[in-house]
Amino acid sequence: MIKILHMYGDMLDLYGDSGNMEILRYRCRMRDIDCTVDSYSLGGDMPDFSSYDLIYIGGGADLEQQHISADLLRCRDGIKAAYDNGTFLFLICGGYQLMGKYYRDADGNDIPGLGLFDYYTVAPSSRKMRCISNIAIRTSITGKPVDVVGFENHGGQTHDVKTPLGEVLFGNGNCSKSRYEGYMEKNVIATYMHGPCLSKNPELSDYMISYCLSRNGGSGELAPLDDTLEKQCRQVMLDRLLSK
Amino acid sequence: MNRLLILIGKIVVGFLRLFKRNAGNLPGIILWHLTGGKACKMFKVDCPIIAVTGTNGKTSVTNCIAQLFEQSGKKIIINREGNNLDTGICSMLLKYCDGSGKVDADLLILETDESHVPVVYSQLKLETLVVLNFFRDQLDRNGEMETLIQKINGFCKTFTGNLILNGDDPNTARLGRANPENKNVKYFHAEPYAFATDTIYEASEGRFCPFCGEALVYDYYQYSHIGRFRCRKCGFGSEQPYITASGIDLDKPEFTADGHTYSPQLNSIYNIYNMTAVAAAAKLYGIEQKVTDNVINNYTVNNGRMENFMLGDRKATLNLAKNPVGANMTLRVMNEMKGEKELLFVLNDNIADGLDVSWIYDINFTIFERVTRVVTSGTRAYDIAVRIKCSGYDAANIVVRPDLDEAVEELAKTPGRKFVIANYTAVQPTRAALKRYSEKHGGEQK
Repeated sequence: MIKILHMYGDMLDLYGDSGNMEILRYRCRMRDIDCTVDSYSLGGDMPDFSSYDLIYIGGGADLEQQHISADLLRCRDGIKAAYDNGTFLFLICGGYQLMGKYYRDADGNDIPGLGLFDYYTVAPSSRKMRCISNIAIRTSITGKPVDVVGFENHGGQTHDVKTPLGEVLFGNGNCSKSRYEGYMEKNVIATYMHGPCLSKNPELSDYMISYCLSRNGGSGELAPLDDTLEKQCRQVMLDRLLSK
Repeated sequence: MNRLLILIGKIVVGFLRLFKRNAGNLPGIILWHLTGGKACKMFKVDCPIIAVTGTNGKTSVTNCIAQLFEQSGKKIIINREGNNLDTGICSMLLKYCDGSGKVDADLLILETDESHVPVVYSQLKLETLVVLNFFRDQLDRNGEMETLIQKINGFCKTFTGNLILNGDDPNTARLGRANPENKNVKYFHAEPYAFATDTIYEASEGRFCPFCGEALVYDYYQYSHIGRFRCRKCGFGSEQPYITASGIDLDKPEFTADGHTYSPQLNSIYNIYNMTAVAAAAKLYGIEQKVTDNVINNYTVNNGRMENFMLGDRKATLNLAKNPVGANMTLRVMNEMKGEKELLFVLNDNIADGLDVSWIYDINFTIFERVTRVVTSGTRAYDIAVRIKCSGYDAANIVVRPDLDEAVEELAKTPGRKFVIANYTAVQPTRAALKRYSEKHGGEQK
């Protein structure tokens, strides 16, 4: 049994981010693992964050991020306690940025982050300067190196990332043309990768599912699924990006 | 220099025709580079130009307006293949111009991509601009629509020609205020139809007044954010209508505009808006009523919009889906059909499609009924295959054939009814592949 909390899904849903939930549910269903996804959005009843195995936040435009930031701060203590207690945080783009110290928007205004992690994000003053690209990175979060692909579209440049999710093979990553992408801990995957991120990277899904199960006292071992299509899909993109 | 450029362009067009390929954007792209982005400037166009733009419905409205003039005995030029970017329009003009770049016609009627309106019509003099609507589609998930509207708004600030605007779309109607000096702004509206609602049904844009920031109030919503709106604070939305569709009955289907009743072929509220835009253009240009009747009452879609092909004895229906709304609509039509059927989904990620294909996760594939097999193709054939698989469809019934001809062969292998969905840049190659199959194995385009 896995319990997931999807935060602000109605506002933060760029580039198929909500698809990540569909994929996690699909991979659980194929293995007869119970998986529930609850939704929380602006002004809702304060959830019991620590009762969840995984908290998910997607990405949104600047405007949406401003709208939710005050509400997210209201949830800070709950999310922090859950994270300290081992709840997994899966964060895409805006969700990633808002867990850091702050997000400075294109006009120089600071949107405070939850400060769970040390990094901070600064958007360039020109809104035209964005990192928009297919992206490939090599991550070792699962214990062995695996190449994963996604689509990035962010203005914000994220600095001071101590433990990045992976090394950039193609695309930009945390900053324009940077070497590293995302942020990770044992129970955190934070990334700029949309696409949705999990659609072509079954290892990331399974890492999270396995983490959640073992946290609940299970072995965390997962029955293998036939991921031929997913892997071919990723290989086509890797071939395209890396043969250039 | 001009003559030389035109000659080069014409040679490219001729060369492509030799290989029976649609010329597409290529000749225009070549000239675009040779002229430093000013390719449309090479042409001498003395006749009036009417342009149609907006997120949805451009092709239908462009075709209908063209027919208004064609049936009035005018010589018109229209970009029929849907090449609506500056390079596509340039490629099309290349076919029709003489050696000096002179284009001989009574009228040019050009479907024009939203983002290319300022580029093209800073180079060619525009007489009338028809703007249908602005919706989020796959290109816009990050506030880019506002940038797009700003671009067209910038163009409208100095435009003094006719501006025919959807008065029920705040994103579109706001263009009418771009140039206060322009007295030629005309709004079309539609009264509520049977399924209009009091509250908004789908997530959408344009909830606030673009001029004063006040929340817009709606008398009714037709679909998405389209409906009778106004701003209580600054009066935006209270402009005088030029033409209004009333008595809308989609069962017949029927609607009345300017006291005249029309019986169109297509029974969607989208089509009523499109046809009202056509009626507005007809009114503006004083088209004879019997011609307008003929056009509006007989217009049906083709060119990759619910277009039928015979693959041997197997019927296939092709529909363009450049956004989830279009794709979901096709799936619904497919489901409503009795018996088993197969689907070919062609997904590309060329620049004009948006490099990102994640919008396919907003398509609801769980509604599949009696779909026995899915074939996928295009530059992102695997992505759409994975998407359909994750919706719960048995992967054993999904066949990936990135090559289009192989995909059509695969689709036609088994008997039964076929549906084909293709996104923007995939539509023309898909039509061509379906036709090639028919030529080889019999059957015809219907």
